[in-house]
Amino acid sequence: MATEPVAAGSQAAEQGSIAVRDVSFGFGSGRPEVLDDVTFDVASGEFFVLLGPSGCGKSTVLNLIAGFEQPTQGTVLASGRPVAGAARDRVVIFQDSDSLYGWLTVRDNVTFPLRVQGIAARERDERALAALKVVGLKGHEDKYPGELSGGMKQRTQLARALVLDAPILLMDEPFAALDAQTRSILQDELVQLSVTMRRTVLFITHDIGEAILLGDRVGIMRAGPGSSIKETIVVHLSRPRRRGSAEFGALYDRIHRSISEEVQQALRREDSLL
Amino acid sequence: MTMTSRAGISVDRLEAAARRDPGPADVGDALPPAQRKPASRALLARHSPWILTMLSVAAGVVVWAIASRTLDSPLFPSPLRIAQALIESIGNGTLLADIAVSVRRIAIGFVLGCLVGVPLGLAMGLFPLVRAFCDPVVQFLRFVPPIAWLIPAIMWFGIGETSKIAIIFYMTVFLVLLNTMTGVAAIPRNQLRSAENYGVSGWQLFAWIVFPATLSYSVAGARIAMGNSFAAVVGAELIAANAGLGYRIVDSGQWMAMDQMFGAMLVLGLLGIAADRLARLLATRFLRHYVHADDHGD
Repeated sequence: MATEPVAAGSQAAEQGSIAVRDVSFGFGSGRPEVLDDVTFDVASGEFFVLLGPSGCGKSTVLNLIAGFEQPTQGTVLASGRPVAGAARDRVVIFQDSDSLYGWLTVRDNVTFPLRVQGIAARERDERALAALKVVGLKGHEDKYPGELSGGMKQRTQLARALVLDAPILLMDEPFAALDAQTRSILQDELVQLSVTMRRTVLFITHDIGEAILLGDRVGIMRAGPGSSIKETIVVHLSRPRRRGSAEFGALYDRIHRSISEEVQQALRREDSLL
Repeated sequence: MTMTSRAGISVDRLEAAARRDPGPADVGDALPPAQRKPASRALLARHSPWILTMLSVAAGVVVWAIASRTLDSPLFPSPLRIAQALIESIGNGTLLADIAVSVRRIAIGFVLGCLVGVPLGLAMGLFPLVRAFCDPVVQFLRFVPPIAWLIPAIMWFGIGETSKIAIIFYMTVFLVLLNTMTGVAAIPRNQLRSAENYGVSGWQLFAWIVFPATLSYSVAGARIAMGNSFAAVVGAELIAANAGLGYRIVDSGQWMAMDQMFGAMLVLGLLGIAADRLARLLATRFLRHYVHADDHGD
């Protein structure tokens, strides 16, 4: 839990850090492994992007850290403690806004995690309003999710995650279903937000530009099945980053080459199997 | 506003009428006076669904009247005779008494059916063990129609109210149960995962997520059951009853009082429509948001 002190024996691990060690994951015997020996670390307060071709198991990695799934092998640590199930110190923002509760207003959606904890109504409302202000939804508290645009739904999800003050945010392609313009606006806002809030973010995407725009580091995954981290690239560009800049373009090409190389190899592997 | 042709009839207009939707007529009110259509056309446009409804009813009555006159048989009474019989039965109090008896049976059986069907459907949807245990029985019984239980119901529960209520209950419980179970399966996985993420405990998950998320499915099942109840009550009152609209249909049929019989059938149909309309009204009024957020579209 977010408020608990770090357990004894793991003093070295900072609050908000993530460690994924030799993790494998599969859906049972006879079927190919989804993940095979995934290892990476995310430092406290770092913005880490996991990038890879679709179907490579990016979301599975996120689900393992969230505690929705358990690894077949290996360990996942959050703030130095082994992950055993979902908890409020790692909040997930889903790609599909169907995770919002359609029968609750925006305010009640955002206060929901606090209501579960039994926090008093007045404090809930204050914290929800603060979170809604941060994501630019002030004035929309009384709307229902069905009355919101796709971008506003994702803002509501973000507010619902921020209201918990969790040290770790897990974002599973949160902007992938949005139109290009809304996506770009939300990306810019998330950059500003991540600078001020200093939380650990694990961000899943298949969009190279998005990865460079947002990430402190970008982990590139191999094509599945049996995926793992191919390489990790540190993004040295200063913020705010411009998509048009030469450094941005160079990094884009470098990552693009790495991924297409990976996809080619995967195609050849499949070929040789046939 | 381009959808109305010169003749005042267009496909859009007909479709709007079919939906019983005042539709474009409301937009006309928002326009400045200069852009409005002539008053008579605006009036027609605004009331066209109602006018069509009236025309449809009138056509039905006319067809019946012509058939009745042509056949000239006591088995085919004219609309006027049926109306007279209805007025008479209102006058001597039998109609209201019949309605009260049948509606009471429907109401009790329906409410009990919902009270059992919703929790059982939720339990079967949530717990695989409960589902595995109950499903064979449910799947079997849903194909045994309520009317088949009429004789056993009378033998077990007697000729009083209980056997009639039991038939309505039986009919309601399966429709509500099966719909509710479907609703649980349709809860978006992310909704359950986010709840898990926030540390929602067992009863909270039930009361705050599963119940509201499936409510629209339960209500849909209940609405179908409500409609079928009016059919089932006739079956329940076929044998060993001494009041009710179903009893009236059977009884007046046996006495060849066809006007009374058709009168009771007419009232049954109208009550069914009224109940369905009321249910729909309540659902749109109070349950507007109890559908999944993405079902609304962006």
